[in-house]
Amino acid sequence: MSLRTPLVFNILAECGTTKARASKMILPHREIDTPVFMPVGTQGTLKGLLTEQLDNLGLQIMLANTYHLGIKPGVEVLKKAGGLHKFMNWNGALLTDSGGFQMVSLLKLAEITEQGVKFGSLNENKSEIVLTPEHSIEIQNAIGADIIMQLDDVVKTTSLDYIRIEEAMYRTTRWLDRCLQAHKRSNDQNIFPIVQGTLNRELRTTSAKAHMDRDVRGFAIGGLSGGESKDDFWKMVHLSTDILPKDKPRYLMGVGFAVDLVVCSALGVDMYDCVFPTRTARFGCALVMKGQLNLKQKVYKTDLNPIDKDCDCSTCKTYTRAYLHHIATIHTISCHLLTVHNVAFQLRLMKNIHESIKENKFVKFVENFMANLHPDKDYPSWVVDALETVGIELK
Amino acid sequence: MTVYKGTIAEFVGMKECISCLTVQDPADYTLPGHHIQDCIPLWTRHGKVMINAKSYMTLVDLFKPDMYYLLSDGDTNIASPAKRIKKAVQNTIKYHNECVDIHKNLNGVKNSFVMGAIAGGYDLNARKQCIEGVCQKDFVGGYLIDGLHNNGPEVELLQIGEISPVVEFVVNHIEPTKLRSIHGCWNPVVVLKLVQLGIDLFDTSYCYIVTERSCALTFVTDIDDKEEMFELNLRQPHFAEDFTPILTGCTCLTCSKYSRAYIHHLVTVQELLGPVLLTIHNVHHYMTFFNNIRKCIGNGTLNLLEEKVTKQFCTSENVVDSEKDVLLTDGHTESTELIENDTYRNNENSSVPISS
Ligand SMILES: [Zn+2]
Ligand SMILES: [Zn+2]
Repeated sequence: MSLRTPLVFNILAECGTTKARASKMILPHREIDTPVFMPVGTQGTLKGLLTEQLDNLGLQIMLANTYHLGIKPGVEVLKKAGGLHKFMNWNGALLTDSGGFQMVSLLKLAEITEQGVKFGSLNENKSEIVLTPEHSIEIQNAIGADIIMQLDDVVKTTSLDYIRIEEAMYRTTRWLDRCLQAHKRSNDQNIFPIVQGTLNRELRTTSAKAHMDRDVRGFAIGGLSGGESKDDFWKMVHLSTDILPKDKPRYLMGVGFAVDLVVCSALGVDMYDCVFPTRTARFGCALVMKGQLNLKQKVYKTDLNPIDKDCDCSTCKTYTRAYLHHIATIHTISCHLLTVHNVAFQLRLMKNIHESIKENKFVKFVENFMANLHPDKDYPSWVVDALETVGIELK
Repeated sequence: MTVYKGTIAEFVGMKECISCLTVQDPADYTLPGHHIQDCIPLWTRHGKVMINAKSYMTLVDLFKPDMYYLLSDGDTNIASPAKRIKKAVQNTIKYHNECVDIHKNLNGVKNSFVMGAIAGGYDLNARKQCIEGVCQKDFVGGYLIDGLHNNGPEVELLQIGEISPVVEFVVNHIEPTKLRSIHGCWNPVVVLKLVQLGIDLFDTSYCYIVTERSCALTFVTDIDDKEEMFELNLRQPHFAEDFTPILTGCTCLTCSKYSRAYIHHLVTVQELLGPVLLTIHNVHHYMTFFNNIRKCIGNGTLNLLEEKVTKQFCTSENVVDSEKDVLLTDGHTESTELIENDTYRNNENSSVPISS
């Protein structure tokens, strides 16, 4: 095992106007260009794509879900396989979530105590199961992702229960300490703490500052993208990136719409994940700069164009919208082809953001992106406000 | 396809492959009956579409396949009554002659290789009648022995003894220079017997059927191969910690990079990559099988290969399981757009044991 730290974060360029930065993040399995979008491969596979295809797309890092992998194939199999990288034949970088969010959102009966996230088994013969911070880290150590997440106490973003929000914020920090204590692979895995506090400025500030006292190599901004207004959303992102140290990566959880990626990169975020691009592919939707095309619609039946003529993914180079329309409703292959395109779309967007920051053209890039999206200049007010805060005037 | 000016192979993104258009999908059960005057039913995802010689040839002209079958009535099986068989022969002769006439006036198929079809169920007299009706003009390049079954998974259970009288009869009565084909997901043992009877062209529906039940083909494909299981059912729990490839020594992408344990995981959590990896291996294995069949014909060892595969099939306990699976599977699971689907599936995968 090399003694090199498992995460080196080199800022290559900073935007002269906004808080955006282009960096190289060196992880045990791969060097990552940031800002980066991480598609979600929940169960150790990205929606049917071969890892060879992911390499060809230029994918550097993807996310896997601890909750699902802990159930199947399970810790024992993952340990025997030598970790998820070997199990799924993926040589790029991986990030795993803690499993807590999945439990709270998938299992209606989940109950949170100081010990951990507890739920009664659906099977009456089995006793209740508790996901503790220690257990989450044990599973994540077995999976072996480059970046792993602390177990956090999740409160609905729109909750107004101050007592509960405050409790969750402090508990998240206590759980962070238990996670760091339980972590057995600090040589080759990085735990990221999660800044909580929902939409409360003071609590979020307290949370961020408490986590900055710990010996960690990056930070996640959690508890957002959960149904709050866009005005609240960007202000909390802005606040968090203002507090968090500049020399470490910032990961905004659950964000993946193109416009959000552009705005939040301007606010200084480096990493994102979201199921949206792969999920929408399953419903026959293809991402384009102006939004998305629902290929099931009749208008595409005789449309002989590719999804996006500027996209150089294998789907756009090989298939017409008419063909994709034809198969969109019946064959699993359409989900496959659209996933290739949608992942390529996200990667291309992030590459453009990264390159434009490096070339000191980020402001121009943002202006062009927004003008293209809103030719009539009817920009959403939250976008105008957020960008104005970091020095971009959309007019 | 009316607005699209290219070929079906280009449309489906496989222009480097030879495309072959079949009337029905050999992998999907073809619902019997529902005939009306001059038309046969195609079961598409939009429901039943009645097709006659004219509408069929319009499609063929639009698709511009490298190779296609003339319209035929193959809706017979071992249990068909004489009346249905008689009608199938009459229809097939009629479609044959109509399609040939239309073909001569079409531009899109000028260079296509044309295959006729011999119908007539298991009645040798009917087969004879059909051959006499369609083989008069030296127009087609080969013949499909149609009407042996209604496609789909149950074809795997048909025994060579049941079909060999018909196959032998037809092979003996059509011109020896013509290509002979049979459709369906035949068990490899039956494939070998059919090759010995003189069949040249098969399809890969067997790979599809095997993949659908989460299985991987591991039967011996060469006389020097070590005997393993005939096929593996990757759903079985004992594969959960088996980190070896499906078949040691197999050079396919799946076997060179992925383990049985991973595929077991994918099929148990129903991830799309499971069937993708199985298809890659199964098609590769089947292609290897046909390569070796050609090699064995070349050096006169086909009998040895047939003995070896038959012996392995008969001694493999796992086969019993998979046959049970087949029996339990409802043949008609999804309706698909048959013609296009066929072309997609067949153009890369058609396996010709003897180059013609
Ligand atoms: Zn594309
Ligand atoms: Zn293989």
